[in-house]
Amino acid sequence: MISIQNLNKTFTLTKQQRKELNTDQKTATAVQDLSFSCQPGRVFSLLGPNGAGKTTTLRMIATLIAPTTGQIHINGINALSQPQEARKHIGFLTGSTGLYARLTPIEVIDYYADLYGVEKAAREQRKEELFSLLHMQDFLHKRIGKLSTGMKQKVSICRTMIHDPSVVIFDEPTSGLDVITAENIIKLIRSCKDQGKTVIFSSHIMSEVDLLCDDLAIIHQGTLKYNGTMADFRANMQTANLTEEFIRIVQAPNSQL
Amino acid sequence: MIFRIFRKELLDTLRDRRTLMTMLVIPILAFPIIINVFVEISKSFEEGADTKMMKVGIVGDHNKNYIQQLEQIPAAVGPKKIVVFKDSLTLRKAIEADQIQLGLIIPANENNLRENQQTITINWLLDASEVGRSERAALYGSSLQANADAQRLQTLGLRPEQIKPLANNTINCASDKKMLGQLAGGILPYIFIAFGFIGCMYPAIDLFTGEKERGTLETLLTVPVARWKILIGKMLVVVSSGMLAASCSLIGLFISIEFLDLTDNQEILKVIHGILTPYFISSLLALLLPLVIFFAGVMIPIAIYAKSFKEAQSIITPLNIVMVLPAMVGFFPGIELNLNTAFIPVVNVVLATKELVAGTLSWLYFAGVFSVMCLLATLAIVLSYKQFGKESNILS
Repeated sequence: MISIQNLNKTFTLTKQQRKELNTDQKTATAVQDLSFSCQPGRVFSLLGPNGAGKTTTLRMIATLIAPTTGQIHINGINALSQPQEARKHIGFLTGSTGLYARLTPIEVIDYYADLYGVEKAAREQRKEELFSLLHMQDFLHKRIGKLSTGMKQKVSICRTMIHDPSVVIFDEPTSGLDVITAENIIKLIRSCKDQGKTVIFSSHIMSEVDLLCDDLAIIHQGTLKYNGTMADFRANMQTANLTEEFIRIVQAPNSQL
Repeated sequence: MIFRIFRKELLDTLRDRRTLMTMLVIPILAFPIIINVFVEISKSFEEGADTKMMKVGIVGDHNKNYIQQLEQIPAAVGPKKIVVFKDSLTLRKAIEADQIQLGLIIPANENNLRENQQTITINWLLDASEVGRSERAALYGSSLQANADAQRLQTLGLRPEQIKPLANNTINCASDKKMLGQLAGGILPYIFIAFGFIGCMYPAIDLFTGEKERGTLETLLTVPVARWKILIGKMLVVVSSGMLAASCSLIGLFISIEFLDLTDNQEILKVIHGILTPYFISSLLALLLPLVIFFAGVMIPIAIYAKSFKEAQSIITPLNIVMVLPAMVGFFPGIELNLNTAFIPVVNVVLATKELVAGTLSWLYFAGVFSVMCLLATLAIVLSYKQFGKESNILS
């Protein structure tokens, strides 16, 4: 379970960034007073246009960066005071995730299994399951640099899931992938849900959200615009389709939501 | 966990051809190639100068006395052809046009000076920028000088020792090892430091900037391992690479001496072999280790800060000059390890290594230099840790 309360994140702008953004302000607020929770066995979607604060929020949940103020709990563990403990429960996959091109898939998987402290017996069993599920046996000993995008994506999935995390974070996981490769991710998210894991993923593709999510939050310019179940979202739609409704919510002033 | 990270990063680094080149291949091959090329070029120049025909122009030798003396000089010192000129101006022009290589001007009053037992000054004209000309002129000159001295002494009825009441003789009390330390002691630390730096460079950029650029750092930092452990694991690879490059340069240097037969002097070979003792190697590595950690600690914050491999390279490459330039201090005579120089980073290691080669390094100075460098290495590690912890640096 993920629980977020009153999350804020402010970045200090460098001179170069101030110049690029054409602003005199020394700080930029990426996330403002964000609160929501994600439940086990359900898929939570974080929606928002580019620059809305989705990646920053997910990075804070993954303990990669610390919030300026606010609280994050992962399975009841305070992620700010016990980040290493919280990380044991998290699997983190992004669309821009890279892999070590000079290593083989098996070397990468073993490395991450060691970093997550997965016991040898449990690791072997887990590897067996994942390799067979993702059909990875044929390229386990090839250098990653020589693999296709689809194969690399499978290695990334395997690396994310090797420690059997109960909370899985996906940051625009299908970004830049073809439909066949993206299908692996869709399957993975469904499988995580079936296993009772807590899943949060960010996206701006409504069809993907429609296909997968149980709960959703829409954020824009760092603030929460909508938070509820997908069923409620559909029931209360004021426009003809999901994409139009998403645009309406993002563009509407808070008083008109 | 640090060792696990080290193991993975080392494997990754060893599979990178570019790093392997700078860490192993270049340091090992650099010296055999550089020394071989240098020796071959020097040899060819020397041989060329010795065997080159030199035309000697002569002015004012009316009795052909000097021409005779020159012709009597054995051809073994180099072939020559004597050409008589009427005036010095034409001779000078011929030398400037390289038609004549050496010019000899005998004064017009040579007979008078000789009869009055005065000093006869003869002038040699040459283009000193050409290899071997000065040496050949000195050789011919000393031969004419010896003949003139013998003639004058005969005229005066004196023996040479009667006009040379005192002779100075210098006896070198320094051991061969100390002499080698002074001669080669300057270049050895320069080599180690230069390759120590270069050896650190690519792994530092690859393991920090490269990881950020490739998008693997973000994932790595979400694992339940303290960031300082990740930093130390990576840093160990950078330091190992620097130490390996420095050690390989030493191996390369010895290969060039052992297998390229650059010296036949058994005494020098004995001294060089004597340097390769466990004491020397362990002391040298002990001096180099904190220095290489210091290098790594300076490079890593830059590599963490840089957004791309290119940016990191463009900052670290000029740093090479700043860091390695002080190592050239070892080439200058008279600069010694003392209470002041012991506190100057890089310079202190150079001077201590120089004394180590010469066998004159005291334990007190060794401990002093080692402590100063350890302190700097610690500060560099702290700086790296602070940069590695910064959110703005770890996110691409």
